[in-house]
Amino acid sequence: MTIINFIINNILTQSAIIIALIALLGLVLQKKSAGSVLAGTFKTLLGFQVLSAGSTIIVGSLTYFGKIFQHGFHLKGVVPSIEAINGQAMNTLGLGNEIAFTFLGIFIVNILIARFSPWKYIFLTGQALLWMATMTVVGGKICGFNNWLIVLSGSIIGGIFAVAMPALAQPFVRKITGNDAIALGHFCTVGYLVEAGAAYIFGERAKEKHSIEDIKLPKSMEFLQDTYLSVAVIMVPLYMITAAFAGPKYAANGSTNYIVTGFMQGIQFVVGVYVLLAGVRLLLGEIVPAFRGIAMKLVPDAKPALDCPVLFPYSPNAVILGFVTTTIGTVIGMFLIPIFGLAVILPGMLTNFFAGGTAGIFGNVVGGRRGAIIGGVIHGLFITLLPALLVTALTTLGFVNASATDSDTITACLMYAFVFAPILKAI
Amino acid sequence: MQQKLKIYFICGAGLGSSLASQMVAEDVLAKLGMEEKLEHEAISSAPGLQADIIVSADNFKTQFEKFEMDPHTKFVFLHNIVDSNEIEEKLIPIIENFPS
Repeated sequence: MTIINFIINNILTQSAIIIALIALLGLVLQKKSAGSVLAGTFKTLLGFQVLSAGSTIIVGSLTYFGKIFQHGFHLKGVVPSIEAINGQAMNTLGLGNEIAFTFLGIFIVNILIARFSPWKYIFLTGQALLWMATMTVVGGKICGFNNWLIVLSGSIIGGIFAVAMPALAQPFVRKITGNDAIALGHFCTVGYLVEAGAAYIFGERAKEKHSIEDIKLPKSMEFLQDTYLSVAVIMVPLYMITAAFAGPKYAANGSTNYIVTGFMQGIQFVVGVYVLLAGVRLLLGEIVPAFRGIAMKLVPDAKPALDCPVLFPYSPNAVILGFVTTTIGTVIGMFLIPIFGLAVILPGMLTNFFAGGTAGIFGNVVGGRRGAIIGGVIHGLFITLLPALLVTALTTLGFVNASATDSDTITACLMYAFVFAPILKAI
Repeated sequence: MQQKLKIYFICGAGLGSSLASQMVAEDVLAKLGMEEKLEHEAISSAPGLQADIIVSADNFKTQFEKFEMDPHTKFVFLHNIVDSNEIEEKLIPIIENFPS
């Protein structure tokens, strides 16, 4: 008994070990060699700890930013970042185990649905699944579920999303790629459908439809495809301007000048994102191929749902146009949405590029140039509204100055907050 | 035994699409009975990589041109980074003829 208790209390409460054991299971099921099993398990363990270290850096930087923003503008500004939410949920709130088990549960539900339904999509974008697991666990926490119910409901809802979202996007993906070989596995799909709908209503039709790919765009925007550079381009000036408004009293660190402190803290945020995503890369580099191997065996005619940049080479101009118009939409949203009594959501650059870019492809394929431009702005407004709706629920749970991104994960979490929680209360 | 080639797959964040491309390439290599060392990374880290071959999407081509890359590194740019036929057509000849 003592030994079992020791294992439960000291080992199985360590999220890093739980995730490493899941990877171990996947690798053994695939009959990998002992060396590969050992290497894969260790890399996963290491990845989780690197992720935690990145999270600590992000939280430190966001705490500083929250302070100077409040003193600079007398408003509460929220940085939407799913990476920050995941890091805080895993570490500060101690939800790492629930997230790890939900992650595994979503895999299983996804395979079951694909095996026994006509929708043969296998969701292979590991980090998106991790974000979905995070947000459903947070949703379960909002409802006050116990740990088992959190994992069970998260697995089922996440699993349904993992099949439904690629299925909903597929008619457009077919049009973009010209074939039916791949599907889109990226949990921003609700936003893409919003853009496609807006592009249909406001865009060009039939003969007057002109694709943005017919014109040449300036090459100077291409560096934004570099994730960390594009985060830095916005976050660093944002920190510096905010520090300037807050003044030396709040923004300075000891004898260091307050603008320089703001600059360094902005860089620190990018460092945190870099470290956290390096951890995710280590963490998922083994789990995703293992999952794919198992899924492809169990679901013979499976269609892999892959990360959004897979579509970028098909429509590179639309990516840039989508990024610019979405950013315009998020900036308008930052000023517009607080009028309705909601939080100030600052533009989140990672989503603006990846989700905005993909949304641009959808807008362009449905409604041509005009569709992509008007649809993009509406997409930007939409992805600012969603995190604003979520802020209150997240703050009560103890999240520091952050809200989520990725429209589908927020939609899942809002279902918990606005549908399940009131029903439970009524009962 | 011949030393394995180090092949890196590159995308914007080094998370999703580069890993997807790597998995397809692993299948292609396995089918042909070849074994090399495959990794995936973010474009930010690309200039420091000691890679034999770098595989990326068409839209990253101009960025690599701006970097000072290791002169012995060979490049493969794909239109559809998860198309096994395209990977076989473009990557395999480079592996077979390496280092020329």
